[in-house]
Amino acid sequence: MTDENRPDIEGAPDRGLPTEGALLDTPPETSLDFEALDAAEGMAVEPVTQWKLFRTRFSRHRLAMLAAAVLAFMVLLAIFADFIPGLRDPTQPIENEAGQLMLRMAPNSEFWFGTDNIGQDQLSRVIYGGRTSLQVAGLTGFMVASIGTTLGAIAGYYGGWIDNLIMRFTDLVLSLPLLPVAIVAAAWLRDAFEGKEALSLAILLGSLLWGTLARIVRAEFLSLREKEFVEAARAAGAKDRRIIFRHVLPNAISPIIVNATLVIGVAIILEAALSFLGFGVRPPTPAWGQMAAEGGRLAVNAGAWWALVFPSGALILTVLSVNFLGDGLRDALDPTQTIERK
Amino acid sequence: MFNYVIRRLVYGLITVFALSIIVFWLLQSTGGDPLDRLKANPRITQETVRQMSEFYGLDQPVWRQYLTWLWGFVRLDWGRSFTGVDMVRDLVFERLGGTLRLMMTALGIAVLVGIPLGIYQALKQYSFFDQAGTFFSFVTFSTPIFVLGMLLQIIFALYLEKWTGVKFFWTSGMNSTNYSNLSFFAKIGDTLQHLVLPALSIALISIAGYSRYQRAAMLEVMHSDYLRTARAKGLSRRTVITKHALRNALIPIVTLVSLDIAGVIGGAVITETIFGWPGIGRLYIDAINLNNWPVVMAVVMSIAIMVVVMNLLADLTYGWLDPRVRYD
Repeated sequence: MTDENRPDIEGAPDRGLPTEGALLDTPPETSLDFEALDAAEGMAVEPVTQWKLFRTRFSRHRLAMLAAAVLAFMVLLAIFADFIPGLRDPTQPIENEAGQLMLRMAPNSEFWFGTDNIGQDQLSRVIYGGRTSLQVAGLTGFMVASIGTTLGAIAGYYGGWIDNLIMRFTDLVLSLPLLPVAIVAAAWLRDAFEGKEALSLAILLGSLLWGTLARIVRAEFLSLREKEFVEAARAAGAKDRRIIFRHVLPNAISPIIVNATLVIGVAIILEAALSFLGFGVRPPTPAWGQMAAEGGRLAVNAGAWWALVFPSGALILTVLSVNFLGDGLRDALDPTQTIERK
Repeated sequence: MFNYVIRRLVYGLITVFALSIIVFWLLQSTGGDPLDRLKANPRITQETVRQMSEFYGLDQPVWRQYLTWLWGFVRLDWGRSFTGVDMVRDLVFERLGGTLRLMMTALGIAVLVGIPLGIYQALKQYSFFDQAGTFFSFVTFSTPIFVLGMLLQIIFALYLEKWTGVKFFWTSGMNSTNYSNLSFFAKIGDTLQHLVLPALSIALISIAGYSRYQRAAMLEVMHSDYLRTARAKGLSRRTVITKHALRNALIPIVTLVSLDIAGVIGGAVITETIFGWPGIGRLYIDAINLNNWPVVMAVVMSIAIMVVVMNLLADLTYGWLDPRVRYD
């Protein structure tokens, strides 16, 4: 489940060569971007900016567009959960008129997603659970982006002994067995961060997952710092800080965005795994992984399929969207690649 | 080459050493004493507890305990489990057998299904089959392994039995309780009935990874210059694919599979918990919950050493298969 074990999700770049049998059956596909570039060059109507290129390319990637919409929906639900009319308190077992707890109710018109083992409304737990899970994942993504970019940039830009030191440390972190180490650390953090599980999980996952990004950023910086425009900036008297933030970092931003996006998916899955083993978010606070784990046991032992299907469905849909989005971003942000319609 | 191996081993040793310090420290500073359960027992006197502490060396300062543990570990004397009289080394090696059986089966299935799947997808790029395979991979990637395992249990154990009235698969344990009385073929059957579902739940995730990776590798080779040359000189499509493309496209997957072995052992924690499989993963979780740190240390070290060795083997195999790779 580690990031580096995850193979590149994109296919090999399509170089416009015919793939099957004959060589020149079909002419290489002309892609939209080149047309746009030609138009801009020839007629000089409107310059094609990076942002515009990105927008054009990204909007061609229909699955990624859909994924972005799904993700936005999930995030909005999580943020505005308090304002959704009719949503119940997710940590409050529900009783009927006779004062009995509504345990393990199958989905019906009143409880769309049914109720769980102690009579809590699943729909509101899934929505509020999204808040917890997305918080953990978002924070993790932010931590990975900050640690990975900072260390990778320092290593790649300055080189020498500091590069060596940072990269050996990165190798060390990357070669740790992820899940066993995460479990031990989670057991420790569980005591240290009583009640702030989302934060402690994000710190834990963030400090284990930054290695891949640090390597990528270092490689980018290594090649960028030798480029002419950096040399020109230096000759013009720019300080290191200006060169890094103004000239190098903007050119290395795409892999950072892509990696941070994909890490969010990994974080949601890992949070689920840790919750399943009892080292994640603890009840009554809802979180998708923990609900799916509880619900799975309920489904296997008591046939309550809805307890597994809805939380894990929300989780899978979100991670799937994150992965499609990451894939689409990778295609759209890399201007050297031509893109085929998906 | 020789220098390269030595250097990698030294780095590996440092990694394992650093990990042992971190994990030892984390375990020691986590609240709770391994002897808490004993202390809570009213029939056990203060004197006994004191003697036990002394016996396990718990009265020593932490650094001292660590050094004692380290010295024992390198001499393959991994101490005693706090929960009984078991020697930790025997316990770990016994459970390792269970994990290896599960892992090897899963990897076997994943390699046999995932790699051909990826190759076929690449040959039929953008066909319906290719798109469906891609979608399957993405969905499997995005599913936590415990959800997969539970779905398999529900579909192939609970419902299949309900519908057909025959018990095809077991959802817990490695063998039935009457295993020793069974005939030879019944033994094989019983083993398979227990093995298939947990192995499949691990294999599905790896199949998704391998097929995706193999597809990309195959496409890259199919676009290479030497393959265009092979086509241009008039070789048949079959020869081009089997003699020229396949051989080169299979190299990168070797790395992925060897790296995956380490990941699968770590991930076994979850599968073993769902399927009640007696392997090191479950041993690990139980030990952490009981603060049984000699066992936790032993399992974490075994996994870390396997990771280091597999990483090195992956790089060496790659170099052996692809003569363009240089070690320096």
